[in-house]
Amino acid sequence: MFGLLVAQNIAFYVIAALIVFGALRVVTCKNLVHAALWLVLVLAGVAGQYILLAAEFVAVTQVLVYLGAIVVLFLFGIMLTRAKTGHDLELDNPTPAKVGAGVIGVLLLGVMGYALWDAWRGQELGDIVVQRTAEVSDSLFSTYLLPFEVISVLLLAALIGAIVLARRD
Amino acid sequence: MLAHLASFAWDAPSVDLHALAPEIVVAATLVVVLVIDAFTGEEQRWAASSVAGIGLLVALVPVATLAYDGATRVMFGGGYVVDDYALVLKALFLLSGYVVVLLSTNYIAEGDYWEGEYYQLLLASVLGMMVMASARDLISIFVALELLSIPAYMLAAWRKRDLKSDEAGVKYYLMGVFASAVMLYGMSVIYGYTGSTLLAEIAPRIGELVTSEPIITLGIVFVLIGFGFKVSAVPFHTWAPDTYEGAPTPVTAFLAVASKAAGFVALLNLIYVGFWGRHDVYEPLMWVLAALTMTIGNLIALRQTNVVRMLAYSGIAQAGYILAPLAIAGSSPEAADQALHSIVVYLLIYAAMNLGAFAVVMAVARKTRSAEIDTFGGLFSYAPGLTVAMSLFLFSLAGVPPAAGWFAKIGIFQALASAGDTSGYVLAVVVAVNSVIAFAYYGRLMRVMWMDDVPDGDTTPIRVPTSITAALVITAAVTLVIGVVPGVLTHFTDPINLLALGR
Repeated sequence: MFGLLVAQNIAFYVIAALIVFGALRVVTCKNLVHAALWLVLVLAGVAGQYILLAAEFVAVTQVLVYLGAIVVLFLFGIMLTRAKTGHDLELDNPTPAKVGAGVIGVLLLGVMGYALWDAWRGQELGDIVVQRTAEVSDSLFSTYLLPFEVISVLLLAALIGAIVLARRD
Repeated sequence: MLAHLASFAWDAPSVDLHALAPEIVVAATLVVVLVIDAFTGEEQRWAASSVAGIGLLVALVPVATLAYDGATRVMFGGGYVVDDYALVLKALFLLSGYVVVLLSTNYIAEGDYWEGEYYQLLLASVLGMMVMASARDLISIFVALELLSIPAYMLAAWRKRDLKSDEAGVKYYLMGVFASAVMLYGMSVIYGYTGSTLLAEIAPRIGELVTSEPIITLGIVFVLIGFGFKVSAVPFHTWAPDTYEGAPTPVTAFLAVASKAAGFVALLNLIYVGFWGRHDVYEPLMWVLAALTMTIGNLIALRQTNVVRMLAYSGIAQAGYILAPLAIAGSSPEAADQALHSIVVYLLIYAAMNLGAFAVVMAVARKTRSAEIDTFGGLFSYAPGLTVAMSLFLFSLAGVPPAAGWFAKIGIFQALASAGDTSGYVLAVVVAVNSVIAFAYYGRLMRVMWMDDVPDGDTTPIRVPTSITAALVITAAVTLVIGVVPGVLTHFTDPINLLALGR
């Protein structure tokens, strides 16, 4: 058990470093398509962390929805519109905006990081509880039945509106 | 094999169809409008608006039967509650949705917009608001927020050949999803700490701490800020004026009234049921937000030359008044009770008077094709009825009897005074000063309408379509009746109580 936890911790930090690196590249690289591909690394890393936490259903959903649908949608959006796909030097903000964003980012990181560290420092996770996918579906169709149904209306409305706004008339 | 399957057996949730009937009627209406739209030709396009309006009125029937029944119905382990509070607000959303349909009928039909789809999105948004009124669970609240917001983002961009409308939609959308992201992070932190998404289970776990943990403070602040965007509280108001000006005017009325009310409903649910014990966190936040919102909203409203933008900033200021009682809600159960009632009463009256003001603006714009304040010059000489109605709504917004606004404002003052501490009294003074500032711009529009000359000398009377007349009659009647006999309203709002569930 101990060995497994050590391995898990090592894997966590390796994946976390990859996620942070990928996230930095998303905002710094000058090529829109490359940025979208770096985003794949970030999202896949998050899926990897879910697997380490034994949340298999969430991990699979993350891969299907974020990697399979959202990033592909980004790439289609970039390629089907007249956005530049190559190296683009204008893909950048003016320096004051960059400095401002950097300061706010570091401040937020500090506040949120401190709050998280303060709340859960010294707490051990104990045995990892594996949540079976069947349990997820059980709660989806009992406790969360109403939000589930509401989302179906939401998707219908989003579909109708997207067609109206996107079509040429 | 069967035994294996049986071991996965789950308890079917008990679904009270009577309690869900209003939502089911609205959802069914949406589907009917969709089907009618798909299978009829151009000449039957008017049907969409009629069916949508009728559907919203029919949904009031189960609301009335549930209110008559009077029992509090709790479903999904406390995640969905249908009580007097939820029913009053559902009736508000249905009625304001109906008035918006009335306002839209001619505007959408004559403007060559997509018609059936417009009403489908409107119905979806109203459905989201109704769910919000009953949601007592972080996930339901989030899903309801998305259902009411996403159709609204798209409706704001409905005049899609107009760049201003596109700007309105995109601005609203970007700010909205940003707020949603902040709010979701807050919710995830609260769930992580308490291990529950049910507000009634969150309350004891964060309330029993002597002082607030940083993580809880962070979570509560993030969640409340997310709804601060929705109710366009300063400094999260930047989207509101551009969106209000660019969006089709009936959509602006919808956003300024129903969507804002839904944001307040979510704030009430969260604060009263979930974060009740942490008044050391939300009270200062609400105090600052309320004071900033009303002051800055009023000061910028003073400088506006466009009536719709002026109403947008006046709406921001009004949001500040409505936020004010939340700043003292936690000081005692009596103050909490007063604050809840004053907010609900204010929301109901605000809906009537603001929708009415928008109805007049739309009726006048049909002739002048503009919403600049100057074009209202001499309105009394050729449209006395509209002028009197507008004056009634402006009196109400300013809080002058006999229009209903005075009763709403008195409620806010009573709530602020009921706390009996300095912060309440200071905030009451801020509200009073702001009410005086607000007189200036409401009064200016009034003076232009009654005293000024007609700008281009064109005094042909305005032909007001039947549906806008109906909307005007409804809103003016409500504004006047409540102003003269407030008991009509308090009869419905007195029994409401949110605290019973939180403790």
